Amino acid sequence: MLTHLVGGRVIDPANGRDAVGDVWWRDGRIIDAPSETRTEATYDATGKIVMAGAIDIHSHIAGWNVNTARLLLPEYHRAAAQRPAATPLSYAGWSTFETGCRYAAMGFTTVVEPAVSPHYALHAHLELADIPIIDKATLAVLGNDDYLLTLLHAQESESAIEDYVAWILDMTRSIGIKVVNAGGAAAFKENIRQFSLDDVVPNYGVSSRKIVNALQHAVNNLGVPHPLHVHCNNLGLAGNVATALDTIAAAEGLPLHLAHLQFYGYGTEGERGFSSAAARLAEAVNAASDVTVDVGQVMFGPTVTISSDVLRQFNARGRARPRKWLILDGDANGAGVVPYDYRRSDFYNAVQWAVGLELFLLINDPERVFFTTDHPNGAPFTSYPEIFALLMSRDLRAKWIADLPRAAMAMTTLPSITREYTLPEIAAMTRAAPARLFGLTDRGHLGTGAVADVAVYEDDADRAKMFRAAALVFKDGERVVRDGEITRRTWGRALTVAPPRDRATDRRMKDYYDARYGVSDELFKVPAHALGRPEPFGVVPCRP
Amino acid sequence: MTLDAAIAEAARLVAASNQPLIAGLGTDVAGARAAIALAQQVGAAIDHMHSESLLRDLDVVRSSGVMLTTPTETDVHADTLLLAGPLPHDGLFQQIVLGSKRPAERGRALRIFWLCPGSSAATAAGGKNNIQIIGRAPGDLPALLAALRARVADRPIAKVAVSARLLEQISRDLKASRFGVAIWSAASIDALTIEMLCGLVNDLNAMTRFSTLPLLPADNALGILQVCGWMTGVPMRTGFGRLYPHHDPWLFDRRRLAEAGETDCVIWISAYRAEAPPWREAPPTIALTADGAGFRMPPRVHIAVGTPAVDHAAVHYVPSIGTLAALAASQPSQMISVADAVSRIAAALPDDGAGRC
Repeated sequence: MLTHLVGGRVIDPANGRDAVGDVWWRDGRIIDAPSETRTEATYDATGKIVMAGAIDIHSHIAGWNVNTARLLLPEYHRAAAQRPAATPLSYAGWSTFETGCRYAAMGFTTVVEPAVSPHYALHAHLELADIPIIDKATLAVLGNDDYLLTLLHAQESESAIEDYVAWILDMTRSIGIKVVNAGGAAAFKENIRQFSLDDVVPNYGVSSRKIVNALQHAVNNLGVPHPLHVHCNNLGLAGNVATALDTIAAAEGLPLHLAHLQFYGYGTEGERGFSSAAARLAEAVNAASDVTVDVGQVMFGPTVTISSDVLRQFNARGRARPRKWLILDGDANGAGVVPYDYRRSDFYNAVQWAVGLELFLLINDPERVFFTTDHPNGAPFTSYPEIFALLMSRDLRAKWIADLPRAAMAMTTLPSITREYTLPEIAAMTRAAPARLFGLTDRGHLGTGAVADVAVYEDDADRAKMFRAAALVFKDGERVVRDGEITRRTWGRALTVAPPRDRATDRRMKDYYDARYGVSDELFKVPAHALGRPEPFGVVPCRP
Repeated sequence: MTLDAAIAEAARLVAASNQPLIAGLGTDVAGARAAIALAQQVGAAIDHMHSESLLRDLDVVRSSGVMLTTPTETDVHADTLLLAGPLPHDGLFQQIVLGSKRPAERGRALRIFWLCPGSSAATAAGGKNNIQIIGRAPGDLPALLAALRARVADRPIAKVAVSARLLEQISRDLKASRFGVAIWSAASIDALTIEMLCGLVNDLNAMTRFSTLPLLPADNALGILQVCGWMTGVPMRTGFGRLYPHHDPWLFDRRRLAEAGETDCVIWISAYRAEAPPWREAPPTIALTADGAGFRMPPRVHIAVGTPAVDHAAVHYVPSIGTLAALAASQPSQMISVADAVSRIAAALPDDGAGRC
């Protein structure tokens, strides 16, 4: 089917395009303007903004941790049913079905679930298979698993680690690897309550730095497009900017992605010993060209924190709002689910809000700073439109700042920042750059051959309104949204990588599972036929 | 009745119903997905045959703080187990308590304390000499746990069913453990007792590492809970009559709905066993069960379905690993699956949404 989108302002930074013009696609792929024009569908985009579908690189949308949060907080659903305007989390759409629909309504067409414990991979993929419209991908979490720590303890070769990482990617059907508080969860099992980059995991004698470094090299050597995705040690603690700076320095010129950097942007200045260190952090990011970051912006309102950083979540459980929580000592990383309420009147929360925006605005290259709230940890993804508006207007920021505790704003540089994001910068940050970060050459842009994932917005001066409800969204060329309403429910795929690997690893891993757990490793695999969708996976090529 | 006729008659009954109920839900993930989709389509309520004990555990989770661990982690890491109350002698009990999967070379001393096990503990324990039994009658458990929690926190206690010296010893041993795991079955203890036990575990984490591992009911109860969670945001005992998932453990209790006459059509699902619905005065019932169920009232429609992972490949909760796993059919057959039967009933319904309240 030939579709013609006419006369919109096409903003496609990956192809250097920002001009009024047309976009054509046949079936699911973008094409050049055809000579014969027996167009079967024409959409008028005059006066509107046209971008590729947006890509969210870090949003907790599926799996055991997320589902546990749902089951822990039935009151959030009741709120969703009865008073949506009053309770921000209710906007989040707390089922898989609503997750896909609400993302699509905002013009997002690909979302990465960034924390899947290898042993819970099937569960995560079952949930992803029930998320409509959007394409998905998962990151497998390593770095607290006995097998890797044992390899490192025994000073095994780089290739042994690469074989294992490739085996995990295949078993979990993931697109990349994440490390969460490397070694911290294993140390917590030995009753250690604080864990930093140079601390050593008991029994294994391996430092956190060593784990991060080994995984970074393995991912890189395997040619996996997405660099190691790092959740640093000491999340959320005053003075933790030092940890983030040390981790950036430890990248040593190889690609590294630091997740939700806002949660590491804290100094110890001021009466309360808690201040923004975002300016220092942004400076370090600007100087380290191999490092990419996402922000993890905080927005005010009730939410729930969901993390594989079991040590951090255990230490945060006393501040749960409402006062309930669940901490899982898992097979490797484990998980913690702790509800939280970010309050405007709270000094610390106000500083956190400012730190996120400072990072967005002080990191110069919009292609190295990614747009996330670490959903739902900083805020639900449904708050994105408000954040776009804040990034694009210093006047709007000034209004917010005026309503926040003055003492908190004095601990940040935010009031002095005048930068405003442009629409092309928003498109670069949410389309072109994320596609590049994950090696997704077929999306994030509107060039010939790209998947026809297209978002069309009204050019509304109220940017939040504009981004909340796309005028039109097309997924694989089919119209799925009109005026923010779902018009068609399709089923996307989970994107994976398949680096070449040594088949001898299969035998080794089978023996390992037999010996350690007394169960077959087959039990943890994710066969396509188990997911109940015709084509549940798509494969992203690795670098040669 | 042929399968086609059974499907058609089931669809007719569901379409004519004002308040359908889909209960039992002893099925795999695919069956649950189909059943929940049908419930949404026709405004039915859903409930699992074991939701009493499942929701008892969940009530504690959603009203307080809980530490949790996995069966596999318990197996490889625990040096101490604290068992509370009578426990089912199921596969997980064999694995964790009796060490059926534990490799022999890991002969690390595992200390096991069993509070108020009830009368059959000796058989269950199989003569293991690493199990110390404290108290006997399950009725003594709440007071004993409270006393133990007080002693762990160095608070004074009144007299309980066991000697102060014994309590002192247990308290000391629990605090000296490196990684302990508390184990119970919500089928035999109430929510307040579970909360007390979880509170004790939380207190122990001020000094050492301790976690919990509830033993769960069969019939893929936890798998169904997970599917309900992601598809609807809430557990079973949820109704769809209001056009959004309305979770209310009292209102949508299957037995109450059936016995109070609030449902006029039941789809009863039990694919793992030939289990029949427990209520006496049954509304018209469409039964999807393994062959051989003994019904008190004959169902209007009975479809014999295959057993997940026996007759057909299936995804369901596997207790030994504590999560969902995909399993091949061990004895593949032509028996229809719950997912296929329910999907066919849904497809046979009139398109105009008849059957909605």
